[in-house]
Amino acid sequence: MAKEEKPKIKLAVYWGAACGGCCVSVLDVHEKLFDVVAAADLVFWPIALDIKYKDVEAMPDGHIDVTLFNGAVRNSENEHLAKLLRQKTKVLVAYGSCAHMGGIPGLANFTTKDELFKRIYDETESTVNPDKIRPQPEHEVPEGKLKLPEFYNDVRTLDQVVDVDYYLPGCPPQTERLVEVFMAIVSGAELPPKGSVVGALDKAQCDECKRKKSDNKLIKKFYRPWEIQDDGETCFLEQGVICMGPATRGGCGVRCIEGNAPCRGCYGPPPDVPDPGAKMMSAIATMIDADDEEEIAKIVAQIDDPAGTFYRFSLPGSMLRRKLT
Amino acid sequence: MEEARIGIYVCWCGSNIAKMVDVEAVAEEMGKLPNVVVAKNYKYMCSDPGQDLIVSDIKEHKLNRVVVAACSPRMHEMTFRKALENAGINPYLFEMANIREHVSWVHTDRDKATKKSKSLITAAINRVLYHDPLDKRSVDIDPATLVLGGGIAGLAAALEIAGSGKQVYLIERSGALGGYAAEIDLLAPYMNSAAQVLDPLIEQVQNHKNIEIFLESKVTDISGYVGNFDAKIEKKGKEVEKKIGNIVVATGLKNFDPAVIDRYGYGKLPNVVTAMEFEKMLKIGKVETKTGKLPKNVAIIHCVGSRNPDYHEYCSRICCMNALKFANQARSILPEANIFDLYTDMRAFAKGCEELYTQTSRKDVLFLKFEKGDLPTVKKAAAGDDCDMVIDMHEALSGEDIEVPADMVILMTGTEAHDDAKDVAHLVGVSMCGNDFFIEKHPKLDPVATTTDGVYIVGNCVSPKDIPDSVSQAKAAAARILASISQGSVEVEVTTAEVNEDICCGCQTCIKVCPYTAIGYDEEKNVSIVNEALCKGCGTCGSACPTGAIRSKHFTDVQILSQIEGLMSLEV
Repeated sequence: MAKEEKPKIKLAVYWGAACGGCCVSVLDVHEKLFDVVAAADLVFWPIALDIKYKDVEAMPDGHIDVTLFNGAVRNSENEHLAKLLRQKTKVLVAYGSCAHMGGIPGLANFTTKDELFKRIYDETESTVNPDKIRPQPEHEVPEGKLKLPEFYNDVRTLDQVVDVDYYLPGCPPQTERLVEVFMAIVSGAELPPKGSVVGALDKAQCDECKRKKSDNKLIKKFYRPWEIQDDGETCFLEQGVICMGPATRGGCGVRCIEGNAPCRGCYGPPPDVPDPGAKMMSAIATMIDADDEEEIAKIVAQIDDPAGTFYRFSLPGSMLRRKLT
Repeated sequence: MEEARIGIYVCWCGSNIAKMVDVEAVAEEMGKLPNVVVAKNYKYMCSDPGQDLIVSDIKEHKLNRVVVAACSPRMHEMTFRKALENAGINPYLFEMANIREHVSWVHTDRDKATKKSKSLITAAINRVLYHDPLDKRSVDIDPATLVLGGGIAGLAAALEIAGSGKQVYLIERSGALGGYAAEIDLLAPYMNSAAQVLDPLIEQVQNHKNIEIFLESKVTDISGYVGNFDAKIEKKGKEVEKKIGNIVVATGLKNFDPAVIDRYGYGKLPNVVTAMEFEKMLKIGKVETKTGKLPKNVAIIHCVGSRNPDYHEYCSRICCMNALKFANQARSILPEANIFDLYTDMRAFAKGCEELYTQTSRKDVLFLKFEKGDLPTVKKAAAGDDCDMVIDMHEALSGEDIEVPADMVILMTGTEAHDDAKDVAHLVGVSMCGNDFFIEKHPKLDPVATTTDGVYIVGNCVSPKDIPDSVSQAKAAAARILASISQGSVEVEVTTAEVNEDICCGCQTCIKVCPYTAIGYDEEKNVSIVNEALCKGCGTCGSACPTGAIRSKHFTDVQILSQIEGLMSLEV
């Protein structure tokens, strides 16, 4: 125990607009947890520890060494915590697809707050709300004032709200990658330049994908994965199944493809691609095997939910960002 | 990157720009933008003093980027790049804003036009900040030339090149040289013998030490790029490989088959013949009907398969004069016969042709005009008629429906692309128009070159034409090729695509989209490779690449996106 002089780093994990999967991926370190807690004190983690916001607010600035912030910024509470943790943290990591690029919650940018509320509070099949009551940020009751976080029109990525040091992509990030990054931080290894994507490769999925690939990417018909008998060995695109692999960083171990499902793009684009959805659509457009305008339109119409397919994890962080009105 | 020092030059273009754009105000405002060191306006930037202004400012103010707001870059980009080069900075550190064609010539509101000019120049400034210096590249030229097609155009090109002491490989798919000219008796308009023109030419080619002839052969594969092509030639089942620097495509056209036009009765009425069939009769000196009689009535019908949207919309150009030639020859052979020439328009534009028309009209040939949409119909004559066939037509000049007697009908069949024209186009990397004719690099100013450097198209495969035009084109291509051979090397495009091998994941999306077959796949490295000598910088692969690994030099994402940002930054 004599070696314990090296001070432990202070680690925080927080979730914004997230599903909880990222927090679970942190728990998935399994027995490596002992290494983590040997090197770090967890000072804030709402899913696992009972530490209040006011405890964080009481910390001196820069008190936390590393914060893994997962989830997008969708409401005033997310924004407040993003700003608070930025202030209290030395190294702020956007952890997972939602913090990185907006993720699945970011698809809400294809609609507006008003449209969402109308659907949820008026129209869903199970809703009975004749008075059209809507949640309000503040409400007076005899006991005092009740407050709810304000729901924003836009879903934003973490770096659209605060300065971010690193990005660790994935939905969720592969736990092995987290452990590698974490160990690099605690071991005092030289960190990459600020703003880098860590725990992922520069090369896209295809580089690691073992399926047979050729230049014969000609698509006459698009299929959803369940519509064809995948032969298990040919490039999905060459079978007419949209795979985001070529526009998505490797690093996950091509887990979806190894499981015979096409890549959905959660690891985000390779470096210098400002809009992975546009890149992939442009690539797909070149694969359509027709010269006739009407035939092309028919083939394109087979792509189910193109916006959700090409921007599944990246809408708020892309150039497209959101629908206008 | 060193700090950008930009010079802005706003051109008046005399009054072309200045009348609609407040050039002084534009220059003044642009001068306030960050990194802009000099902002001037001048009456003619393309003039020598205008260019000198740029050169001296570059030296005096240590400019390292230049924007000229003037006309279209198609007009003067090269001029200004040259000026930068003269001043000792890389010519690609330059951007042009087009405030003439895109602004002054198309707008009528001076205030708005001035604002738009500012937006366009701001965009150019934003872009030029991200320009990289690019270096000129050149490749050596192999002095041998491949000529595809042994017709008169191919022969002329081969002789011209070989005559300068350079090697030529002449490929002909049939068993003889000469093409269609070898099947012709006399040549319009001077009625001289085709054989007397062609035979010496063939003989020279056959005996030339610099020409290797491949008969009954075809080229199966061409790879490489200007100056350095490899051709695989298949000759009677055997394959030969040749290295060449340039290619002349002279594959010609074929004759239209009139059997598809029902009303002319070709293939059903025995005495309806095509132009080439009549030529054959003339060559053997025996013009007679199927039953061996001299025809008393000869009818010639123009525009068969040509100038008709049902077949070919274009004019085949050679048939009108051949028709007059036939009328003359028929008159000589059959002094007693009635000769009818059924035409829509008489196209007699080439040298000596109008004269031939005049001469022919004096030889008792009856010219009858039909309208394009109102074709004559050939039918078997009735039993008592004194002729074999009768042609029903609406004669346009008299306005009357008439019947023309005929014992022989000559169809002036047009020309059309060979069935395998597409394969040839693909083989050499040229484009085709809707008629399957090969497309020139520029129809007016570069009519024998193509968008593939080192590949030239001559003669009828470009569009129907007569012998003088075909030979002119062949010799023009030969001159171009000899010029490049004597240069020894040729400059190739520098704004090519490049693959970042650290990013490329080997998905191979880019390979098929390249119209110049410039991209290959390196299996060992699992990356795509751009052959820069073949690349024309079209950018197709860059936009198809899903990983962002392919960068189109001079059209990078950051250059284009900042240009757009600049465009949107001012309120219009």
